Amino acid sequence: MIEVLELVKEFPKKDGTRFKAVDRVSFEARDGEIVCLLGVNGAGKTTTMRLLSTVFKPTYGTAKIQGYDIVTQPAKVRANLGFLSGDTGLYNRLRVHEFITYFGRLNGVPDAQIKSRMDEMAELLDMKDFIDRKIEFLSSGMKQKTSIVRSIIHDPPVMIFDEPTSGLDILTARNIISFIRDCKEKGKCVLFSTHIMREAERLADRIVLIHRGQILATGTLEEMRAETGQVDLDDIFVYFVNKSNTEEELQAHEF
Amino acid sequence: MNFKTVLIVYRKELLEMLRDKRTLFTTFILPLILYPLLFIGFGSLMSRQELVLEERGAQIALVDSVQTDISQSIIESIKDNMGFELIPYTKEAKILLDEGELQAIVSIADSTNSGGFSFYKVSVSFDSSKERNQLVYNKIKDSVSKSKDSSIASYLETKAIDPGIMDMIQVSSVDIASSQKKAGSFLGMFLPYLMIMMLVTGAAMVAGDLVAGEKERHTLETLLVSSAGRNELVIGKYLTVITVSMVNVVVNLFSMSFSMQYLLGSAAELGDFASIPIWGFLILLAAMIPLATLFAAILMSLSTFSRNLKEAGSYQPPVMIISMLLGMISFLPSVEINTLLSLVPVVNIALLFKAVLTNEFQWLHIFLTVGSTLILDVVAIWMTIKLFNTESVLFRTDDDTSLKNVRKEKRNLFNSFNGTVIYAILLALLYYLGQYLQKGDLLNGLIQTQVFLILIPPLLILQIFKLKPKEICRFKAPKLKEVALVPFIAISASVMVIMIMQVINMLFPFPEHYLEQMSSMFKMTDNIWIQLAVIALLPGICEEVLFRGFLIRFYEGYGKKAAVIISALLFAAFHLDPFRLLPTFLLGLLLGYLTLRSGSIVNSMLSHFINNAFALVISTFATSAWFKYIIRDSDTIHWWLLFPAAIIFVVSIVLFHKVT
Repeated sequence: MIEVLELVKEFPKKDGTRFKAVDRVSFEARDGEIVCLLGVNGAGKTTTMRLLSTVFKPTYGTAKIQGYDIVTQPAKVRANLGFLSGDTGLYNRLRVHEFITYFGRLNGVPDAQIKSRMDEMAELLDMKDFIDRKIEFLSSGMKQKTSIVRSIIHDPPVMIFDEPTSGLDILTARNIISFIRDCKEKGKCVLFSTHIMREAERLADRIVLIHRGQILATGTLEEMRAETGQVDLDDIFVYFVNKSNTEEELQAHEF
Repeated sequence: MNFKTVLIVYRKELLEMLRDKRTLFTTFILPLILYPLLFIGFGSLMSRQELVLEERGAQIALVDSVQTDISQSIIESIKDNMGFELIPYTKEAKILLDEGELQAIVSIADSTNSGGFSFYKVSVSFDSSKERNQLVYNKIKDSVSKSKDSSIASYLETKAIDPGIMDMIQVSSVDIASSQKKAGSFLGMFLPYLMIMMLVTGAAMVAGDLVAGEKERHTLETLLVSSAGRNELVIGKYLTVITVSMVNVVVNLFSMSFSMQYLLGSAAELGDFASIPIWGFLILLAAMIPLATLFAAILMSLSTFSRNLKEAGSYQPPVMIISMLLGMISFLPSVEINTLLSLVPVVNIALLFKAVLTNEFQWLHIFLTVGSTLILDVVAIWMTIKLFNTESVLFRTDDDTSLKNVRKEKRNLFNSFNGTVIYAILLALLYYLGQYLQKGDLLNGLIQTQVFLILIPPLLILQIFKLKPKEICRFKAPKLKEVALVPFIAISASVMVIMIMQVINMLFPFPEHYLEQMSSMFKMTDNIWIQLAVIALLPGICEEVLFRGFLIRFYEGYGKKAAVIISALLFAAFHLDPFRLLPTFLLGLLLGYLTLRSGSIVNSMLSHFINNAFALVISTFATSAWFKYIIRDSDTIHWWLLFPAAIIFVVSIVLFHKVT
């Protein structure tokens, strides 16, 4: 369960002014649900995810992961969170099983449990051939599978995917997509971000449209189609962006 | 903090280091083959040196302007050296000597002294910068002294005196130093330096990889979202750096001592290495640990700050060069550890080593060395953890620091980077130009230093960037209440600062020449008004403009408190005086507070002026009768003054805080 409450993140700019990367963002994602954070590059998706994963501290507002506050209980939040992004690096000098064990231990999972989960996942993702290999000799698909197991080794109830398919070939991307579906089936709460409309259409139970740090709309695809009268998500997205621009202009005229 | 997590991080990092072929090679393989090779070469070179001389011989030009039996005997005796060839002196001999064709020119002349004896003067010209010539010269000297003895002996015989009389007075030396002590004093010269070098190189090798490397490989974020805390990650990585650097030292030392013992043998002086007992080495290694922790922490914080491995690599050479220079102090034969030096990082360990090796150490020095290193260490670790918690550092992107950009947006001038660069340039100017200016006429030198090196540069920079000095430097009329309070603050602060100076003097007595230098400042001129202008008024204006007006602006981005502290540190370091470091720092804190709190630089100018004037008054009127109440002797103040001073200070600061 993810509850985001009026989250604001400002970054200082060189000229002394402040830039709002995330501006009063609120939404929620329930267990057994896939929520997609959809927006163009620079819309504030990654910043939001980094705030939720406690890498960044919010300027104002907060969020709760499984009821734990990201500001006051960051360690608890991280223990309940699996995080995977498209450009996640790996330690090339470690073997696959060492790498996974390392993150299992960092997350406080007992060794026996790490072993059984790793075996289970290796079976599922067809990793047995390379589990003892050094990571530097793996193909990108193998590396991605390794990252997947790493992110879920502590069996977190909440999974966050930041642009998980960016830079991956079609076959590897399919692995990720089916993994995300898998998480949902297991009753996990899933939040993933993307700028690819097609992906959002295929995966998401609900979509959160984010633009210039602000949320434009939240709802299921059907709800959005009904509200905008458009069928394609591309068109829906453009509709909301135009709408917010006009609203801004109107506001500007009022003053 | 969970030490189990620290251990997990530590074990993984070590495993990764052991898998890295480059690290393995430089830490283990290289030292194991480098020293044997080095010493085999070195040893055979040393033993060959003599042989080379005998094989190649020497060409020596000779001028014998006496032509007697005695001069003949000198020449014969030189000729006896194997391979020495004497040729008659020609005009070209000097050129040949310059070019290295000749190894020496020997000329024999005579004269008569007052006692009526004729005596001989043998002069040898040679180029001592060439080692071969030095050896030739030593042989010539031996030969001449041999023929001198035999000539005198035969002369004595003609006078029927027993030549044994020549041995009437003999010098014999009894060396009481144990072989351990001798080896210690010899090893104490270069061993500390070598160990410090090994420590830094070992730490630098891994520190960059551990954080900057993770940033570069995009693994840092994954690590940060694991449930491990940031300080656990830092400490785990930090222990890795310490371990690798200590292993580097141990492997190098082992290989070096082994090579020396077995390859050079006991004949060579270096063979005395063997006489240092093994526990001696263990003590030395233990003494290295605090230093290892310090280097590890410094290099870790640099690595954390860097965007990538390349940037981390570019920060390492300065650290290495500074520690090398500090470590080189062990080469200076006369420098020994004392209470003050045991507070200087790196230098203290190098000198402590020397003392431990010769068995002449004091526990106080060990305590101060380890203690001060550990304090710095804690500060550096704290900084690393702090950096690790700073988003803008962890996810640093390229800054546009080009001058063009600064001109375009004037506010961009005031960032800490630019401030530090400007400060560094001014400090260098002060060091080189200031010394030059003050060399001749101290009075004029001080005036020129204050005006040209301290006041003009900030105003010039503001002019270039078209910024208003009045606005930037806070030239603003202070409130009357503020001005009324400042004298109370300044005088009470001055009294306390002088107390601190007295305490420092008790702990680390000021050297004689230092006191002379200080008092020469107060004796530049007899005119008290000129003194007041140069010592109090001028610094009060110029230094305030630079530090509280200009430089403090560069650090205000970190908040007002940080800006005051940083500007005070810069101010303290600017005086280039280790004894006054603490007092000037405290004074800098006060002055920075006065300016930022009241928004007017006039307050800190006034306070600075009063402080300097107070010091001048005390040293000038120290001997006057009416001053006896506050001053004990020369210029030490009575201790009881501390209490009223502290009370006045606290009260006036509280009031100042209220009215501003």
